Amino acid sequence: MKKTKTSLAARRAFLRKLGRAATITGAVVGAGTAGVMQQAAAKSESPSASFPTPEYDWTHHRWGYGVDATKCIGCLRCVEACKRENNVAGDAHHFRTWVERYVYLEGEERPHIDSHHDPVNIEASGSEKEYRFANRYKGKKVEKAFFVPKLCNHCAHPACVQVCPTGATYKTADGVVLIDHKYCIGCQYCVQACPYGARFFNEEHGHSDKCTWCYHRITKGLQPACVEVCPVGARVFGDLKDTNSPISLFIRNNRVQVLRPETGNAPNVYYVGIDKEVA
Amino acid sequence: MDALFHAAPYTGYVYPNETVIPWTVLIAVYPYLTGLVAGAFTVSSMYHVFGMERFKPVARFALLTSLCFMLFVPLPLLLHLGHPERALNPVLTPHWTSAMAAFGYFASFYVLLLILEAWFAFRPDIVEQAQKRQGLAGWIYRILTLGSYDVSEHAMRHDHKWLFALAAIGIPSAHGLHGYVGFIFGSLKSREWWSSDLMPVVFLFSAVISGVALLIVLYVVSCRLRKIAVDLACLKGMAYTLWGFAMFTIVLEGLEFASLVYKGREGIEVILEYVTGPLVIPFFVIQFAIGAVTPILVLSYLIWRGTTGRALIAGVTVSACLVLLSVWMMRWNVVIGGQEIAKTGKGLLTYHMLIFHREGLATALALTVAPLGVLFAMVRFLPPWADRVAPASQAH
Amino acid sequence: MPKHIVRLIALLAGFGVLAAFAKWYFTVDTFYEYGHYRAASVTEIAAQEPVFQTPRYCEACHQERHAQWSAGNHKSVICEVCHGAAQGHPQNGKLPIPKDTARLCSLCHEEMPGRPRTQPQIDVAKHSGGQQCIVCHNPHAPKIGAAAARITGDASAGQKLAAACAGCHGAQGISPNDIWPSLAGQHAAYLARILGAYKSGAQKDVAMTPIAQPLSDADVRDLAAYYGSLSCKSAPGPAKVGDAAAGKDLAKNCSACHGETGIAGNPAWPSLAGQKGAYLQNALKAFRAGLRKDPLMAGVTRGLSDADIANLAAYYAVQSCALPTEGKKTP
Repeated sequence: MKKTKTSLAARRAFLRKLGRAATITGAVVGAGTAGVMQQAAAKSESPSASFPTPEYDWTHHRWGYGVDATKCIGCLRCVEACKRENNVAGDAHHFRTWVERYVYLEGEERPHIDSHHDPVNIEASGSEKEYRFANRYKGKKVEKAFFVPKLCNHCAHPACVQVCPTGATYKTADGVVLIDHKYCIGCQYCVQACPYGARFFNEEHGHSDKCTWCYHRITKGLQPACVEVCPVGARVFGDLKDTNSPISLFIRNNRVQVLRPETGNAPNVYYVGIDKEVA
Repeated sequence: MDALFHAAPYTGYVYPNETVIPWTVLIAVYPYLTGLVAGAFTVSSMYHVFGMERFKPVARFALLTSLCFMLFVPLPLLLHLGHPERALNPVLTPHWTSAMAAFGYFASFYVLLLILEAWFAFRPDIVEQAQKRQGLAGWIYRILTLGSYDVSEHAMRHDHKWLFALAAIGIPSAHGLHGYVGFIFGSLKSREWWSSDLMPVVFLFSAVISGVALLIVLYVVSCRLRKIAVDLACLKGMAYTLWGFAMFTIVLEGLEFASLVYKGREGIEVILEYVTGPLVIPFFVIQFAIGAVTPILVLSYLIWRGTTGRALIAGVTVSACLVLLSVWMMRWNVVIGGQEIAKTGKGLLTYHMLIFHREGLATALALTVAPLGVLFAMVRFLPPWADRVAPASQAH
Repeated sequence: MPKHIVRLIALLAGFGVLAAFAKWYFTVDTFYEYGHYRAASVTEIAAQEPVFQTPRYCEACHQERHAQWSAGNHKSVICEVCHGAAQGHPQNGKLPIPKDTARLCSLCHEEMPGRPRTQPQIDVAKHSGGQQCIVCHNPHAPKIGAAAARITGDASAGQKLAAACAGCHGAQGISPNDIWPSLAGQHAAYLARILGAYKSGAQKDVAMTPIAQPLSDADVRDLAAYYGSLSCKSAPGPAKVGDAAAGKDLAKNCSACHGETGIAGNPAWPSLAGQKGAYLQNALKAFRAGLRKDPLMAGVTRGLSDADIANLAAYYAVQSCALPTEGKKTP
């Protein structure tokens, strides 16, 4: 009797221990599996596949842009093409790219500067949707004059990205600063922070906007629309990783400079042929 | 139908994208409101942290003022956003390199702190009313008690510890809440008018004086409405605070401006053209002469002559009103003024404020006045007066 | 700790947990994958369709035009600059052909301070007198004619050869009648070009073709040099074929190439001053009909009526061919 009772108790005790061990093991194994599965799932979505498109891997490129202001004729085809390509508001107050004209008249130290928001130029073009420089210095004694195309500099240390409170604007691995139109809250802090005036607010859709170097084109092997339409080669674009790309050659063969280097933003648009007054 | 945007007229050369001025009057209202919050809280802390008895009459009232204005603080921002329905994005994915991302957390933390502190400060009253009142009000009081009617010595000691701790944490929080706004402007490289290491400090000190000034005005008005005498010691205490901080503020603002002019960086000519032109009245006349120098002189005189009684009340109240005006002008001159100076350093724009528009004058006024309405109601609900004798015995 | 403190702390803790959960739950998909932004945004932007298609796209259907364009001076101006973006073309129909070319072309070619000197620029009013650019210029190959070449010919050798030409063109290069053209004093470069064209068959004329064909290139140059050196006899004949005054108005449109009074500034183009009226009339009609091949002249004569042609011919016929610096021939 005692033996039976003991063996029964012992069996129960053993079973209890076994049960406890099984439960703990089960829990550990279960948790472990869940963890492993999660990791495996994460791995399959992890950055080993080509991003952002199957045909274009952004880790293989670093884009750069050049402007030869000695060549620009101020025809403004780039301004119109950009608006067409990127569906920018057809008025004289929202530009992803624009051209500035600098004119030094005889005997004057400071240049006259104008661009597409100038009422005289708006009148010359006939509407705010078309762009043209009025020939306003026709009879005057011009000492020096030139045109300077401007656009987002896609800085290496962009002030706009720094101040965005949500992460709606960011810099891609291939060096382009983009805006997530679906995430932007429209606070316009980035518009304030840009020293170059490259950003603007899209009132119709409630988000900030700017030049994207036509990211949708360059990821398909095309050039930005402004570079494509420039008839005189004043705008240059290419892959800085390729030593023979137009931009690499441009930087190598010219004394290039950037706008407002003192900001520390490290712009990636390189200028040739600008002047002391251009900023 | 309103045009989607308004193009600002300009002189000289400005970037084409600059002709639409991004930040409107509401963005000047926002720091004004947070400034009043921080300033009112500072007065409250004079009593709750530093134990200065003379501020007891206004201590709890200051707390309620701070809370009421704090409730309205997000509104100017929400009305400005292009996508207010996405307003929680900076809270969900805060980009910590941005001072603005701090807002969601600072503001939430601070409003919670204010509510907690108000709760602790008013707990005895809440418990008393929960037991007395009926109907909806009674329900609200009872919920606020969290089911505990313990107002024993033991409980009150705990409450006071919490009150002290909250107030102590509250001071740097309030200053953070308002100081970061100054940093938002001061940290930018794109505008010479804003870019200054002193900006957060200037904002902070002008915030304190605006809060103190607001309390002076509200306290005097509330005494008139309650038909009781103004506690002159309290008023003098606030006057001293106002006087001291105002002098320091004017030094800071003057220093910032002088530094800008002295350094004379690129674009300074246009800044000087602006300051000696369109900005003369808003800046030199209203902000400095009328709004800063005059109150300091008046208060100095009152203090020097040891004025008291009705003359003191009048003088201090007038000074407080002028300070409120000056601080508003400071917000305006920074926010709007900064945008009227083009980033090119070669041109000036003119901001045209709309009246009846989502971001217009009417909205700005409404947002500034509405908290007072809420305060009026809240004072009924949680009477803050230290002189908690029934008004009837104080009549006439 | 007093009850209310405990409950308060519990409430705050509960709120904190709820807030943390809400933050995790409501954070959008793909955020933080590559950085502090929504990774899907990059894909979305990259997926947008290009609007401008580039000339390679146009070439697929417009080979001939593309070939002409890519060989000309406008090869740096893509098709879509003038015709608009090609997205949706040809599905959505034709792309516009610009009508107001004076407005369009002047965007690049109006003379303006600031434009580099390498850019061809004109004073619009003076250059074309208000005409459309395509009257003279083919927008797909805009450069006009051959550049003026130096004609190095031996005038005395040419004189010997010219004996055979005197029957129609006169012993001194002044035509005996109104039908055949005078050659005296004409730009040598033009003469060389037209004679060469008759020789090569680029131009066909019943009389000139058999005469020109046996000539060598040197002969052509010598003849051109000879006739170019002759005096054109300033005194013009009377107007016979039409109203010179009316022709004067029309001639404003020709002045860009042929000069205001018919003395061409560019030696590649013929001077018309004092030329025989009937000859001019026949030549213009031949250009208009395409019998005499010249795309530029075909363009300018397309809109001329017979009366216009007669008046123009009459106008030039009565002009004096005397140059301000008579005798100095620029090659």
